[in-house]
Formats: sequence, C-alpha cells, structure tokens
Amino acid sequence: MSAAGKIRIESLGAYLPEKVLTMEDLLASCRRRPPWDLERITGIRERRVAVGEYAVDLAVLAARRALELSRYQAAELDVVICASISKHNGEDEFHLEPASAGRIAVAIGAHAARSFDVVNACAGMMTGIHVLQGLIRAGEARCGMVVSGEHNLPVTRTAARELRHRFDGQMAALTLGDGGAAVILDAAPGPVGGFHHMELVTGARHDHYCYSRPSRRGAGGILVTRAHGLQRKGNEHFPAYLKEILDRTGWTLEDVDHIIPHQVSVRGIENSARAVERYLGSRLPPVVRISAGLYANTSTTSHFLALHRFILDGTIRSGDKLLFVSGASGIVISHATYTFDDLPGRYRTMWDEEGRQ
Amino acid sequence: MKRRVRIAGIGTSHPGFRPWHRGSLARAVQAGRRCLADARRRPADVGLLIHAGVTRDHHVCEPANAAYIQHRLGINVEFQGARTLSFDLGNGGCGMLDAAHILCALLQEGNVRAGMVTASEGNADWRGKGKPPCPDSGAAVLLELSPRPGTGFGSFAFHARSEHADMATTVVSLAEPRGRLLTRRDPGLAERWLEMAGPVVDDVLRRDGLNRDQVDRVIPAQISPGFLARLPGAIGIPAGRVCDFSADLPDTLSTSAFLALEREWRLRPPVTGQTILLLAFGSGLTAAAAAYHY
Repeated sequence: MSAAGKIRIESLGAYLPEKVLTMEDLLASCRRRPPWDLERITGIRERRVAVGEYAVDLAVLAARRALELSRYQAAELDVVICASISKHNGEDEFHLEPASAGRIAVAIGAHAARSFDVVNACAGMMTGIHVLQGLIRAGEARCGMVVSGEHNLPVTRTAARELRHRFDGQMAALTLGDGGAAVILDAAPGPVGGFHHMELVTGARHDHYCYSRPSRRGAGGILVTRAHGLQRKGNEHFPAYLKEILDRTGWTLEDVDHIIPHQVSVRGIENSARAVERYLGSRLPPVVRISAGLYANTSTTSHFLALHRFILDGTIRSGDKLLFVSGASGIVISHATYTFDDLPGRYRTMWDEEGRQ
Repeated sequence: MKRRVRIAGIGTSHPGFRPWHRGSLARAVQAGRRCLADARRRPADVGLLIHAGVTRDHHVCEPANAAYIQHRLGINVEFQGARTLSFDLGNGGCGMLDAAHILCALLQEGNVRAGMVTASEGNADWRGKGKPPCPDSGAAVLLELSPRPGTGFGSFAFHARSEHADMATTVVSLAEPRGRLLTRRDPGLAERWLEMAGPVVDDVLRRDGLNRDQVDRVIPAQISPGFLARLPGAIGIPAGRVCDFSADLPDTLSTSAFLALEREWRLRPPVTGQTILLLAFGSGLTAAAAAYHY
C-alpha cells in the first residue's frame, strides 16, 4: 500500500467522568447481590460513571479535547461520525434520530461537516474509522472525526435492579463503564506512520450471543450476554484473523510493541491472549495493554481510553507499532495494524501542561 | 477517472398489510431477497451490508440490525470462506443515500466487489390502534462497479440545517416496560425541507456539471401530496419531471426515495443516456441529493 493511501490518527481526545464507582459499591447496590466475586472473576475494580451527563455530552467533551491537540479547526472537518451504542441522551430516553453526530458537530462548531452515525456494537469506532478511511481515500473528505460517548450507567442500574440468579444474562452489564473518545483522521503525510491494514468481518450466524433492548419487566434498557458462548466463539476464530493481518502487514508478534484489545474485562482479555498463544504455538510477549481494571468495559470507546491511559503513563511512545483487536456482538471481529507518528509525545505534553488526570 | 458505481438490483417491501412480513427486520429481509433476485446475484457476492433504517424491532440497539439482516439473507454468515462486514448507519430519512455514498467510495477503493444498502421501518410497539407513526416498509439496492463508463451514481450532496434539529425527532422512551416509540414532527417541517431542496439540488448539479435541462426525472422522498406539489417550484424543475406517487405511496422515512425509484422503474424503464436525481429529506434537518446516469 502506498503512503498516499494511508490514513493516520492526527489527534486523540478522551473524556472520563470524575465519579468513580467501585465493583464493591455496585454489587452492594444490587437488589439481589450476585454470589460471585465479580472483581476477581473480571479483574474490574472500578469504573467511571457519568452523573448529569448524557452520552452525547461525553462525546462532545472528548471531541473538544481532540480539537485542542489537532492542527485542524472544527470548521475544517469534512465529516463527523458518531459511533455510540448507548444513545441515552435524556432521562429514560434512547434517541434514534436525529443523528447524534449532528448534535456533536454543532456543539464543537463543525458547521461545514457532513455528519451521520455508525452503529456496530463495540466495534463502532473501528467501523467509523474504516468508513472515514474509505471517504478520505476516495477524495470525498480531507479530514474527519470519529467520536463516541458511552453512557452505560442506565443499563448497569437496570441489571442491579433486575438480576434474579447467579447465571442471569444481565450479569455482564455489571462490567460496563462510561467514557468518551474521539479521533481526528487525515491522510498520513509520510510512509511510516498510520494504519497499515484494517480488517473487519461479521459472522452473523452468531448474532444471538449478546443483545441490548428495553427491559420487559420494568423501566430501563438491558444488556443480555451469553458471555461464555461469546468468548468461546470469538476465541475460536479471531486468532486466525490476527495472524492474517500481521502477515499482510509483514510483521511478526515480535514486531508489535502494543496489542490494544477491546477492554471487555481483564480476565476476558487474558483468556483471549491464551487463545492466540494456543493458535500460534508460542508465548505472547508482554505487550497486551489492559485498562479494564480501572475503566471497565466502555464499549466503543475502550480502545481509545486504553490509548489515553498508556500514552499518559509513558508506555506507548512515538514510533511504536500497535495491533488493535476487537470483538463485538454480531459477532464482529476487527483488527488493525498501526504505527504511531509523534502523536503520543504531543498528547503527553498537552496533558502535562494542563495538569489534567 | 474513477469508475462509477451502478445499481445492479433493487428490491422493495411496499407499505401495506403483510401478515408474514411484519416489523422492520422482516421488511428489510423481504426487500433484500427481492434485490438479490433482481440483480441475479448470490448472497455470498455481498461483501458489505449497510442498513440505514431508523426504527428497530423490539427497539434492539445492539447488535447492528445489519447483522440480523445478513444472517436472515444467508450472506457469508460464518467466519470461514468469503467475508462480509455489516453495520448500521443512522441519519434519519437521508440514511440510505448516505450509505450509498459510502458504499460507492469503498467499491471504488476496491475494498469490496459488491455491496448492499438496506433500509426498513417498522412499528415495534404499535398495538393496532390509531395511525402508526410510519408504515412498515423495506428497500434494498445492490451496488457494484459499473461495467460501462459513465453509467451509475455521479455526485452526491448533503446539506444540514441544525438550527431546526428539534423539528423531527424519534426517541424510545425507556420509562415503561418494552419501551415506547415517540415520534415528533413539527408542522412547519415540510416548509423547512422545501427551503433546503433548492440549494441541495443546485449543489449536486454543480458538482456533477449538469444543468436543470439535463435532468430527465427527479425521484424525491414521497413526503406528502402537498410537499410534492410545491417541490417543482422549489427546485426549479417542471412538475412533469418530478415523480409524485404520494396518492398511494405514503412517506416511509428512510425507504421512501428508493420505494419511489422502484415504482418509477416499473412504470418507465430506464433509458440509456438519461439522468435522474434522487432526493431525500430527514431529521437533523438534512437534505440529500444524488445524480444517477443510465
């Protein structure tokens, strides 16, 4: 692939609500407390939760931070794509139209941007990047933003109210967290940095493992997951795709500095890493970056909140090679290989100067 | 010069009582099957599926409706062999044209060889009393690179007027069990869309290097008889060239323009060399136009 065909993450923005909800406090709020030690089983100690902020607000705050670091003004963005699943943009309201992307574009001042939503479960932001990559390569856009805000707390609260037994399908809703993330993409200026390859595939025969809809027993939305089945089916197939994208990029696992998985849970990621080791017949180097312990599963935003954390703590540096790995209900499997330009350095400098956490 | 992308097949599920095809998913699947038959393609040929409907059965928000449609149509449902990516795109009544534009870009980049855009609407919690907010319907088009130069989609134009975003909203209220679809349409909505129609047509004609005399037919979303009576004046194209099926084809939100296109093709089969304009209007407020060359 020519350098001209590559796109890069020109800027990154992340927003985490201030309020922390620990697993212990969440379990204590359940009407029927599950007998499991969920903190041990999932590795999730706490998550951030938005109070008085809705999904679109989280997305707007992340988008503004991405613009702070970007060389583009909001008015220069050609496209704004919102990838949120949890469009809880009002009390007990789930918004279908108008598109959240339009509201975000207006809030950040991207008045010239074309805006629409892309929904593909937890692979939403990766799908949005895939779409924007196509528009940039086709010359339909020069730069654009993919943004998401996930306000999962209403679904978690429903689960806390409605859990009935130890094998209840809503148990996975206790692993969710809130957050916002945004990336600004443009054509990579040099041959080194940017996305090398991206592969997304939907195995729709397995669409029944995880779904979200309004509760039938009361108010609120629910997330029902057959977690074991979902993980087993994903682990059966994704290592082959992972190997394939490494081969297409011309990398081996030793070339990868960081693997950024979808942050479903600490134990879930560790299980998936073992599946890769079984498939490849070799040990994975210690490059799997996990932020789920602190932020929980923030759905579409999880890859980019992990980037935020590991850039700020100095783990991810300019020039590093990344492998994004994502699994989502559908089942959607996605992988992307990426080399950073100077973004990690610029990102750290901005956050250090502003003294933010 | 880029090869254009053509509509290889179209399938619809028209509004009306269909006891075996109730709901958004069933309508999309019916339209998708007819589309594959019309294009004479196998399900396995579809490399990308984008669904652009607004409403969903049981108000399911995850996984993407497109995954359910892919499964029901039998499009590369397993991880072995040929691959398909499916996802939803949301932009109200303009979603199908948005999806078509994205699919054109991905086809021209060589990402996939053929893709399908579907849209459908259903009334998940309508209990048969009063008028449903939007009749059940479905539409699907199969797109691929055109074998003949000059044939297929030309330019697209998308306009938005965010100051009127609250004039058209659809929300699922989660305050009661199973959710409740709440659709709001401001009485002045058609007037705002008419104001947007002229500029979006100007824009697409300018991008495509056309003038109004070169447009043979305009296929708009069938908003209402009153809207379509005023549309020719708003876009400066004679009424005789603007398709008006609103007497028996109600507004069906995301599917409307493509239901009208299928009806138009049945009544007046395409003639090589002609140019049509597709027009859609949606919440946001948004207006979209696309030029298509036969």
